Amino acid sequence: MKIFKTEKKSNIIWAFFSSIKLTIVILIILAIASILGTLIPQREGAIEFARGLSPELFRLFSSLNLFDMYHAVWFRLLIACLVFNLVICSINRFPSTWKRFHTTPKPDRNKPFDRLPTQQSFLTQGDVKETADNIGKFLESIYKKIYKKEDANRHYFYGEKGRYSHFGVYLVHLSVLIILIGALVGSFLGFDSYMNIVEGEKANTVTLRKGRVQQKLEFEVRCDKFIVDFHKNGTPKEYRSELSFFIDGKQVEKRSLLVNHPVQFEGITFFQASYNTVPGKNVRLKIIRHGNEHKINTLDAETGDMLQLPGNEGQFQVEKVSGNLRGMMGPAALIRIQPHEGKEALFWVFQNEEMLRKRFPSEMFQAPILNSSAFKPYTFFLEGLESKYSTGLQVNKDPGVPIVWLGCFMMVAGFFVTFFTSHRRVWIRLSKEKQGIKISVSGTANKNRVGLQRELKHLTNNLKEFINEKG
Amino acid sequence: MLNSIILSYITFIYFGAFMLYLLMMVSGREFLGRLATFAAAGGLVAHTTAIILRWVESYRLGVGHAPLSNLYESLIFFAWTIVLLYLIVELRTKNRTIGAFITPIAFLAMAYASFSPNINSQIQPLIPALQSNWLISHVITCFFGYAAFSLSFGLSIMYLIKRLDTQNRNNIFLKLIPRTVVLEDLNYQMVVTGFIMLTLGIITGSVWAQSAWGSYWSWDPKETWSLITWFVYATVIHSRMVKGWRGKKIAILCFIGFSCVLFTYFGVNYLAGLHSYATS
Repeated sequence: MKIFKTEKKSNIIWAFFSSIKLTIVILIILAIASILGTLIPQREGAIEFARGLSPELFRLFSSLNLFDMYHAVWFRLLIACLVFNLVICSINRFPSTWKRFHTTPKPDRNKPFDRLPTQQSFLTQGDVKETADNIGKFLESIYKKIYKKEDANRHYFYGEKGRYSHFGVYLVHLSVLIILIGALVGSFLGFDSYMNIVEGEKANTVTLRKGRVQQKLEFEVRCDKFIVDFHKNGTPKEYRSELSFFIDGKQVEKRSLLVNHPVQFEGITFFQASYNTVPGKNVRLKIIRHGNEHKINTLDAETGDMLQLPGNEGQFQVEKVSGNLRGMMGPAALIRIQPHEGKEALFWVFQNEEMLRKRFPSEMFQAPILNSSAFKPYTFFLEGLESKYSTGLQVNKDPGVPIVWLGCFMMVAGFFVTFFTSHRRVWIRLSKEKQGIKISVSGTANKNRVGLQRELKHLTNNLKEFINEKG
Repeated sequence: MLNSIILSYITFIYFGAFMLYLLMMVSGREFLGRLATFAAAGGLVAHTTAIILRWVESYRLGVGHAPLSNLYESLIFFAWTIVLLYLIVELRTKNRTIGAFITPIAFLAMAYASFSPNINSQIQPLIPALQSNWLISHVITCFFGYAAFSLSFGLSIMYLIKRLDTQNRNNIFLKLIPRTVVLEDLNYQMVVTGFIMLTLGIITGSVWAQSAWGSYWSWDPKETWSLITWFVYATVIHSRMVKGWRGKKIAILCFIGFSCVLFTYFGVNYLAGLHSYATS
């Protein structure tokens, strides 16, 4: 880096983005922001939290988008800065990496042999030429390509492996970019939504999590059945939705959807996310007609059906039902009565009417809309409400996922290259001395120098054996 | 259950090993060190047996699953990975002093699992979200990462203590601790091991989340904190490789990193999120 920064350094922006200090500062800011994001409830959970804030604080928080921080523009800009920093640092360092990768040092160097540990050299007797040939053969069995040089007194050999280890770091950093590209592709070309389907019903619209906008699918999904199964201790064991898919009204596929086993259809993935119980259409009513003849009728009605009143004064229908009216009043049905003469009546009847009458002031039930005896001489009772499961599906399309997996794979591969391979370069020098032929082994590595020392000692021993055998 | 009884006894074996390592360092007697290694290795064998027993037991109860599904089981596994990794390091470096700094972590994890009133040691059936083949690979990679970071934490403490040692100071405890260069290199190796394992843990977690929740990244507190931890250790690696930092600065960064690990593991339980089954 130091060699190549001459002209580029003049550009202030370039210099700013090529500093590793910037990397560290961004990482720290990102870390602090992420910590805040885990302390402040996000998205759905934020509403409750926001209520407890003073108006000023609330305004500050929401203007900084702290309730949906990870999707805020400033958070994304920070990530963009990090990416920019990463790319520019990589470009800056590339020439020197390339140089280390590309250039082959001269084999006839003596510097590596200065202050050589004694275990890395030995003496041997015999013919110089033959010994040199043997060293060459020995090195060729370890390194693909070796370089030789000789002068009057000395023979030099050079071999290397693991040049590519210089690029491991680039592979790792590239993988980070690829993962982020995958995330971008997902956020632009995909969607993240949910849908609830009541057992037996068909649906083709989903609600996007972003902005709660409705979106139509190009096919219909029917929930044939939802099954929830429990372990003996009461914890849930299995949630399963039996789904059918329809294109143009024709059933195309039937699939079982379980947690951890998503279903894909037409490029869209369905996940089992939640379930709910909802009232079905069928209602059991008890109708009392007061008077001389005290008549009690119990009947099953379907929401929307027009029925005759027992005394033939007109018609009535169950207009709608609620599993839990206003979130606290329990199952309820809205009854509309259209008499032949007189005014129409409209009122709710409750399954837990007795309990409700104890809990709430009795005047409340004088209000026409809550008065089950509003149409004289009748009193209506809700005996039962059919309940059905509704399955909650997470519906996603994310074409970025394979790209993310590719990035993850590259990152692991990059780690392997970066941390477990090294560029090892080995020099062997043969020199004629008074006592015989002296052979010295030296080397360098760009990382794991402890491992290199071990390897060099090992290499020296093997070479010694090899030469003794041949000689 | 038998397995949890064995496991609660192992707590004391690790405590014994810790005491022996400590005595060795104070007295300088090699014999005590050998005894300590023997205790730790014996503890590990019993520990492994108990984990296998628990696994078998879960099948006998008809809920068969690997014992990696709740806080109790994860703590037991955490201690197991720490002792295993430590014994490998001891074998390779032929130095026992590290034991005095690592075995207490394993002991504490075991003690917390076995004796905390808030932790349920019963074998529980798996809820649907946990019924996945990714459970085993996700938990194993994460905990080997945590174990490596624990060793890095211990080594950082040792580094700071060793700095007190001087030529004319004749303290056996300080003398026995390896040279600072050795500690630094070993610490770096542990950081790299932990970093790779944490990365694998995050990746396997993402793959799992993609099939369970429909999104490979949801900014759930545990995910976010593991990312923060990843950032911290990435900083350690960069500041050593690029800026050439050594010594005290690295040791301090490793302390920050390890506190993030602890928060990812325990602290996150106090925040609402998708990983809530790891709480009890």
